Amino acid sequence: MKSNDLILQTSTRVVFFIIFLFSIHIFFAGHYTPGGGFVGGLLMASAIVLLLLAYDFKTVKEVLPFNYLGMTAIGMLIALTTAAGSLVFNVPFFTHWYDYFDFPLLGKTSIHTAMFFDIGVYLVVVGITLTIIEMIGGDS
Amino acid sequence: MKLINLVVLPIIVPLFIGTVLLLFRKSLLAQRALGLFGAAATLVVSLFLLAKVAEDGIQVVTLGSWAAPYGISLVSDMLSILLVATASLLTLLVLWYSVYSLGEKRELSFFYPATLFMLTGINGAFTTGDIFNLFVFFEVFLMASYVLIALGGERIQLRESMKYIIVNVVAAALFVITIGYLYSITGTLNMADLAVKLGDIGSMGVISTVAIMFLVVFGIKAGIFPLYFWLPGSYYAPPLPVLALFGALLTKVGIYSITRVYTLIFTTDVAFTHDMLMMLAIATILFGSIGALAYMDVKKIIIYNIVIAVGVILFGVAAFNEVAVTGSVLYLIHDMLVKALLFLMIGVLIFITGKTNLREMGGLIRHYPVLGWTYLVAVFALAGIPPLSGFAGKILILQGGLEGGFVWQSIVVALSTMVVLLSAIRIFIYAFWGAEKSFNSPPKAKYVNRMIPVVILFVITMGYGVFIEFLMPLFQATGTQLMDSSLYIDAVLGGEK
Amino acid sequence: MMLVLTISLVLFTCAIFVALYRIIVGPSMPDRVVALDMIGVNLISLVAVFSIVLHTHAYLEVILIVGILAFISTVGIARFIERGEIVEHEHDD
Repeated sequence: MKSNDLILQTSTRVVFFIIFLFSIHIFFAGHYTPGGGFVGGLLMASAIVLLLLAYDFKTVKEVLPFNYLGMTAIGMLIALTTAAGSLVFNVPFFTHWYDYFDFPLLGKTSIHTAMFFDIGVYLVVVGITLTIIEMIGGDS
Repeated sequence: MKLINLVVLPIIVPLFIGTVLLLFRKSLLAQRALGLFGAAATLVVSLFLLAKVAEDGIQVVTLGSWAAPYGISLVSDMLSILLVATASLLTLLVLWYSVYSLGEKRELSFFYPATLFMLTGINGAFTTGDIFNLFVFFEVFLMASYVLIALGGERIQLRESMKYIIVNVVAAALFVITIGYLYSITGTLNMADLAVKLGDIGSMGVISTVAIMFLVVFGIKAGIFPLYFWLPGSYYAPPLPVLALFGALLTKVGIYSITRVYTLIFTTDVAFTHDMLMMLAIATILFGSIGALAYMDVKKIIIYNIVIAVGVILFGVAAFNEVAVTGSVLYLIHDMLVKALLFLMIGVLIFITGKTNLREMGGLIRHYPVLGWTYLVAVFALAGIPPLSGFAGKILILQGGLEGGFVWQSIVVALSTMVVLLSAIRIFIYAFWGAEKSFNSPPKAKYVNRMIPVVILFVITMGYGVFIEFLMPLFQATGTQLMDSSLYIDAVLGGEK
Repeated sequence: MMLVLTISLVLFTCAIFVALYRIIVGPSMPDRVVALDMIGVNLISLVAVFSIVLHTHAYLEVILIVGILAFISTVGIARFIERGEIVEHEHDD
């Protein structure tokens, strides 16, 4: 069937980046307010789903050539390694730590080990969501 | 330096290595090597932890340094660390066996990562001291077991995995509801704190109801009567190494959970809750016996023997005195070892003959004497003939049962020994004796490869029986810790700085 | 002021129930999709009015998230109705 997705495709090109930025925002907002890696990851995944809807598996694979399963594994490793930092410092597992740093442009910002854990969560959520979608919708 | 995080390691190590395995999903060599390495590393850390617990008593980690009743505690007492060590050992040997027997296609379909994730969940469930966290770890190993049960995707597997998933999803929902009730009564989820709070409240109808609901939830996992209906069908479906893992480990998590909540938390209304458990245990033994005698299929016979053993172990827990509980733990470890051993032997048997029906086998003893005689001895161990491994546990369970005044129930347990022996020895008589019937006669090298892990497990199981005298202090400590819940409570709540 | 807000909350809730009726009764698939989208819009409005009532902007992100999800799900279902598959393997034009 001949498809005509001009409106969807054009709007997707803009909306994708809005959702992407919003997911990053939610991710960092999760530091002190509702949000965090899980919601941010889901939003990112839904942005990619929107791309899949407007285009197709092949195009999206060319644009975003990620191995989503590998992404899941790397995310999990990041989260675990962060948590395992407590093994090195010999404090109870999952104990967190933070400090304030001065960055150019950003100014004084707090860096928290929970954030690195959350980056792992973000990657796992994006990876596993898209792995499932690829497995169900992709090749048999 | 005092290592605080030792308790966490048996959970983290398989999770870490399983995750790394996801990155090398195409490489058979990496999968095998890292999979075995992961299980071996878990075994090493858990043995290390075992030595530590035996020496210094109960080990506790409060995750994230949040103080005990609020944060999640991981608690490693003798019972949990013994089970963790046994589970890790069995996973290692079963993985070794499956390297030779599973087939390349299945090995590459996430078999090794899923097994390691399952070990993560099982070790976590054995270790956690928080009842909601217990639910989380249940889900972790169930997710992995869904992968394993459908491994290879044959028709029967897909049908049975669907049943298995539905049963477990329903059980999980019930689990959360039950935890919700418990939380609304006590306002806490930490098991030690629960024990204190419920002890203060005393006997109350609602609490007994919640206790029975927990029995139902864990009973579905453990396969007690009448909740074992899904077990024979679902366990029949997956390939044999997976079946060995399921049979040796999964039901035991349910038994562990029942043991934990019925010795630590719900001890206020023993007359009602433990009598209920006792009746169910006896019924489980009876119905398991009927199943074990009724089938001529080798897999089914051993699967129904799982059900019998569940009944025997829970009988000891329900008798609720130190001797019986010690016996239960002894028998629990024995059962994990011997069930894994029997399943692996059955695996070799099916590999040799290519059939699962006993009537089509016969006369194998001349060609495979090692398998035949080790199988016979393993059956004796299963039935508990002295000095083999089932004996010490069963005799303590019976002694405890009689001390508790459960006379006719003890007789049923003793008689179940006969049924176990009869049902399992039939496999020996039909398959190894009798007229020689046609079999595949596969290459000798493949047979020998498969026999190596089997023989190692055989030696360990026999050692567990013969040298039980040296291990007894460990088990006596376990019994003491289980019956005196203040040890557990003090370790979790009192030991904080 | 409060009265207006309360009345609007009630009306939005009623609108959701009306849309729910349309989802259950149908009769056709497009009816349901439009009704589903309408629930999304009403939820967004509800949250907005609610954050005015509570004098907070903590809920404003919810509006964006519901908006995004409603948009994507509507597009997805619409595609399914039109083409019979949600994500194509390869474009055929």
